[in-house]
Amino acid sequence: MKFDISYIFDALPRLLEGALITLQVAILGFCFSIILATFITIVKTSFNSRIFNGFIAFYISFIRGTPLLVQIFLIYYVLPVFGLNLAPFPAGILAITLNSAAFVIEILRGGLASVPKGQFEAAKSLGISGYALWWKIILPQTFITSIPPLVNEFTMVLKATALLSVITVVELMRVSQQIYSANYHPVEVLSATFIIYFLMCFVVSRSSVFLEQRFKVKRS
Amino acid sequence: MKPNFLEIIDINKKFGNINALKNVFLNVSKGEVICIIGPSGCGKSTLLRTVNWLTPPDSGKVILKGEIIGSDTGKMTFEQNNSLNAFRARIGMVFQQFNVWPHLNALENVVRAQIVVRKIMRDEAEKKAIKILNEVGLKDKIDEWPDNLSGGQKQRLAIARSLAMDPILMLLDEPTSALDPELIGEVLSVLRNLVNEGMTMLIVTHELGFASRFGDKIVFMDAGEIIESGPPNTILKSPKTERLKLFLEKLSLTSL
Repeated sequence: MKFDISYIFDALPRLLEGALITLQVAILGFCFSIILATFITIVKTSFNSRIFNGFIAFYISFIRGTPLLVQIFLIYYVLPVFGLNLAPFPAGILAITLNSAAFVIEILRGGLASVPKGQFEAAKSLGISGYALWWKIILPQTFITSIPPLVNEFTMVLKATALLSVITVVELMRVSQQIYSANYHPVEVLSATFIIYFLMCFVVSRSSVFLEQRFKVKRS
Repeated sequence: MKPNFLEIIDINKKFGNINALKNVFLNVSKGEVICIIGPSGCGKSTLLRTVNWLTPPDSGKVILKGEIIGSDTGKMTFEQNNSLNAFRARIGMVFQQFNVWPHLNALENVVRAQIVVRKIMRDEAEKKAIKILNEVGLKDKIDEWPDNLSGGQKQRLAIARSLAMDPILMLLDEPTSALDPELIGEVLSVLRNLVNEGMTMLIVTHELGFASRFGDKIVFMDAGEIIESGPPNTILKSPKTERLKLFLEKLSLTSL
């Protein structure tokens, strides 16, 4: 069996469509996870409630301690038992969000730890409190220092979306499987899939350098 | 007798088993400059921080212009929290470590609180910020990022940030302690201007020279208590207590 490049060209339009879904799931899931994690971080720090923080710690260890694949199945097949029936696409985004949020919470914890206590105090002493304290003073600093690990987390999310093929989200991996199970040319189709994943992740991780540069230029 | 501008009444604060502040009373009239001195760990910074409730005391009251800051019960209601923010907006605070915001440039550092807290329009806030940055000698640093400023410039920026809120009282917590010796002068000269403008100030400082020249009153603290207070001349030249004598002797040793 020889490598026939024409199968790549034939598959490419559909693969790219799949890649678009991959990007949608990854971007939406990651954005929701950042929103969720930011909210949790603020509540954790502001109220310092033992019950809430304990619950979050439990949640993080649960997410980190089980395979993402199991979590995806759990959301897709077990939630309907409790009456929550989700279509593959939203179920996939929910799984990605809940999984990634656990890691983003930890990333933001690190970023927040690098913001000196005096930054809070300076803002408070000027009468800045609540929403403005976080939004205008603390979060920008937290996110700037968290750029590299956040970009890294996004590449993880991007790759993790391949697992959503098991719950029939028609993303890049699923499309790829559909194509090669019809034309019996897995080598060509998977090579193309491989390269598309790599290119997407490559662009994302390079953007880290760009983002870091941008904020570094502002600061020095 | 004229009513007191700021009254600190029977403040107590414990950190674990340590008495950071013990039955502290202090009255400040408008325009007065109070310098607080004492060995490290004596509670002078804590005293300053209880005034704007950054460190809420365990008991006692802080009264500014007849109104209670924070609460005297330990718990804060929503209204008390709001009024606390209003007080803080009028009480400038300057920290030993400057605490300028590194993600904002010099101008924005001074503009931000005006817009967020006092809801002033941006161009008005910027105009005022430029005027104040000019006054503290940072006119050509307006677009600069804090990371590129020297310690003295950062501290002057921090002072400008406070002044932009039109404070009626300034709290300065060792404003020159983190500075290289040759940079202390530029910050002290800004403070001297403030004194001349009649600003009411509480300064925790080790600069006895500045304290004796510009302070109306020196307060000596040790182990959480005010041991002695009075005009600089009496305090520095004829200390009454052993503890103050010992402290001044130690300080004079360092100048040898």
